[in-house]
Amino acid sequence: MSLQTLIPLLIATPGVLFLLLGVIWLLGGHVSERAMSRISKATHAFLAVVVVIIGWAMWRENMTSIQVSLGDWFTVAEYGFPLSLLIDRLSLPLVGLTVVLTGIVGSFSVRYLHRDPGFYRFFLMLHLFTFGALLVFTAGSLDMLVVGWETVGITSVLLIGFFQYRPEPVSNALRVFATYRLADLFLLSAVFLSHHWFGTASWVGIFSGDWPGGGYKFDGPAATVIAVLLAFAASGKASQGPFFGWLPRAMEGPTPASAVFYGAISVHAGAYLLLRAEPLIHHSVIASGLVIFIGLTTAFLGTLIHRTCADAKTSLAYAAQTQLGLIFAEIGFGWTTLAVIHLVSHAMLRTLQFLRAPSMLRDYHRVHAAAGGKLNPTGGCYESLLPFAVQLWLYRWALARGFYDAIVERWVIAPVQSLARWLAIFEPEFSHRSSETEPSAKAVETPVS
Amino acid sequence: MEYFSLPYLTTGLVCLLGGVVSSWRSGQPRKPAVLAAAIAFVSFLGAAREVIAAGGGRLFDPLLRWLDADGLDAVPMAFYAALTLMVVVLAPKRDAGGPAMAGMLMISLSTQTAYAAAGWIPLVSGWWLSCLPFILGMFGGQQSNKRAIALLIASCVALTAAFVLMQADTSSHVSQGGELTFWLIILAVMCRKGVFPLHSGVVQAFEKGPLLPVALLFNGHLGVLLVAHSEAAGLPQSARHAFDVLSVVAVASAFIISIRAFAETKPRRLLALLYISQASFILAGIAAANAAGITGSLIHWLALSAASVGLVSIVRVLEVRVSSAENPMMHLGLAVKAPRLATFFLLCGLALIGLPGTLSYCGEELIFHGTLANHPAVGIALLVTSAFNAINLIRLYSILFLGVLPKHVIEIPDALPRERWPLTACVVFLVFGGLFPSIIIGWRAETVQAIVKCLVIADGADQQ
Repeated sequence: MSLQTLIPLLIATPGVLFLLLGVIWLLGGHVSERAMSRISKATHAFLAVVVVIIGWAMWRENMTSIQVSLGDWFTVAEYGFPLSLLIDRLSLPLVGLTVVLTGIVGSFSVRYLHRDPGFYRFFLMLHLFTFGALLVFTAGSLDMLVVGWETVGITSVLLIGFFQYRPEPVSNALRVFATYRLADLFLLSAVFLSHHWFGTASWVGIFSGDWPGGGYKFDGPAATVIAVLLAFAASGKASQGPFFGWLPRAMEGPTPASAVFYGAISVHAGAYLLLRAEPLIHHSVIASGLVIFIGLTTAFLGTLIHRTCADAKTSLAYAAQTQLGLIFAEIGFGWTTLAVIHLVSHAMLRTLQFLRAPSMLRDYHRVHAAAGGKLNPTGGCYESLLPFAVQLWLYRWALARGFYDAIVERWVIAPVQSLARWLAIFEPEFSHRSSETEPSAKAVETPVS
Repeated sequence: MEYFSLPYLTTGLVCLLGGVVSSWRSGQPRKPAVLAAAIAFVSFLGAAREVIAAGGGRLFDPLLRWLDADGLDAVPMAFYAALTLMVVVLAPKRDAGGPAMAGMLMISLSTQTAYAAAGWIPLVSGWWLSCLPFILGMFGGQQSNKRAIALLIASCVALTAAFVLMQADTSSHVSQGGELTFWLIILAVMCRKGVFPLHSGVVQAFEKGPLLPVALLFNGHLGVLLVAHSEAAGLPQSARHAFDVLSVVAVASAFIISIRAFAETKPRRLLALLYISQASFILAGIAAANAAGITGSLIHWLALSAASVGLVSIVRVLEVRVSSAENPMMHLGLAVKAPRLATFFLLCGLALIGLPGTLSYCGEELIFHGTLANHPAVGIALLVTSAFNAINLIRLYSILFLGVLPKHVIEIPDALPRERWPLTACVVFLVFGGLFPSIIIGWRAETVQAIVKCLVIADGADQQ
């Protein structure tokens, strides 16, 4: 089988599996836990073999990239949506990472979610996520990337709200979704504007040469605008800069989902986008400066807040943000190879930490008891070098998580709500009182019927 | 004049009329209504096939020669007949009384008459007839729904006035109408579609009216059809200017209503605002007057209709099961008890707001490209609107399906077979259409080419 067939097969397999399992369930069918486990393991084993074959073939034939063109998804007049895939030295490690880590997380989840009512749902989402992530990393154009990007986004949100009968996951899933959609606006704008200005949104059309070290075909303010838009889009996915607050909220999902989404793959999609668009970003001082600024400020905030977190998953979330910030800064400085190594190793380490988190505390307590309650607290004490007043100020600031939620509530959500209520003047029957509060996810009220 | 090989249009309309009459007084009205809707669907499907085979040209009905179908309206006719069938099958028992079934079939009959109209008289009659079931109270008392009915009547009056004006000018075709005629047509479209600030009628209809018939009424998209027909007629510059204004108003309306929806918590009203905002995309695309925009609109028309009827049906069946779903004071958490309905809702909703892999993604993508080509700022405004609508959709989903299950909801059935199959068909259409959009674009390609050709000719004439 040629590589031109294997690559689409690699992407399509989890997508087709999701569709089949989804239709079976919608029509009243059911697949047992054991069958689902075997299907998932077999699928991931198959995907891993396909990735190895692709990598082996590329290495043997000394190919730096493979472009697969499947024609146009749809065409209208002069506009066509190209179905093109690209595997090169940037996408192959990330494809391999996705297949391996989703396989590990799938295998872990078989036991972790045993007899959970959402077992079937989780695996459906995992397959859809695998499809979306593979599409992001192999997309040959920004158009294709958007398809994978949004698929990853919606599965991510659905898994944050996995425990749908609890109020917190519901409200947090909604907040994360809103953040995602606002960040996606930048990506969609970049796609449409690059079509509008450059006449193409494909990597081959925008960049020249293979990654890394490729050049760009377009210059000027338009290229800068696209680069800045992509930087903001990447920040949204990686919980950086202005979209800093969503990652800890995403910890409401089941631990395996946190591992694969927020430790391993989903958050790194933002860094991947920046790496892919690196020639465009690097040519613009504004864009590269922005990426460095976003990365370093988030890394600083992340490491500060991480030190005051009381629970393991939130602490890991802020630690992941810190490392992602550093990866962003590396990309901004043009150290792409270092950024890829950092990205892959961080994804693997973080997955291990997330999967270990549920049993870690128990083990810690056991060791603590065995040591007679005399374990010394761990962690660096660099903070003690600062003046006490600064320490106190930073501590309060970190404890309030940079006042991010308060700022968003006061300066974003409240004005939009006020405007929305004001716009209701054209609907005389609208009740302002009822609109002031969302139906509470916590309330358990008396019957209405 | 070319004719259909069989009187498809007459058969379809007569079946619907027969369905109205037989279900009105029947003890079991669902059976005749389903039969009538099914035969009508087959008839209109036959008509659409012949029109597509004929390359999108206009074909007249051999029996009633004031009825015709062309590439623009043949596909929506078949599609609308399928929606009618879906609603009639899906309607909960309490909404399936004789007058209600007859009313739904009458809405379908009048909308199909307007689609199939070869001249102004059947078109205006179709508009008027579609309001009749609401005025006659076939779905129960409409006392609290007065503004919605008033706006519907206003739209009919505006259209009738445009027609009278054209008769007075001895114009036989819309392209020969004066400026006032076009403004009246635009007023009719704005009232009918609930363009901001005239949207309160549609919101009220959704909130206080019968949900399924209201969905059927507004998913006829007669306003869009009128605009598309007008563009296909090759409008003079003055009219083009009027339609440009309509385009800007539609985009502004979509944007404002998407913001307005953030203050809404009642499922019906939220659904109405989502619907109006997404429906305005169709007008924006049509008025972009280029191939991408027009194709996007015609595709989004189908996707929006299927998705919104799916959503409305699910909300209605939930209301029948849990009365507090009409105005919940808390999140209802119904996904625990009705996971399939939750999944159908989510799929239809994501299809409504343009998730990749669904039909409306292609439609919206083309509309964005079409509007960006003309007015970049308008295209960006539509992108923002789409994001806001997505957030509102997930809010609606979370109100209905997520959160703590209220104590009074002890046991409710999940999707019944009668509900499951039509909803599956709806979802399959949206997903299959999204995966293979070229098929559906192919149905509309001839029409789009014809409209673009007319626009180019009109531009050339204006420049001369």
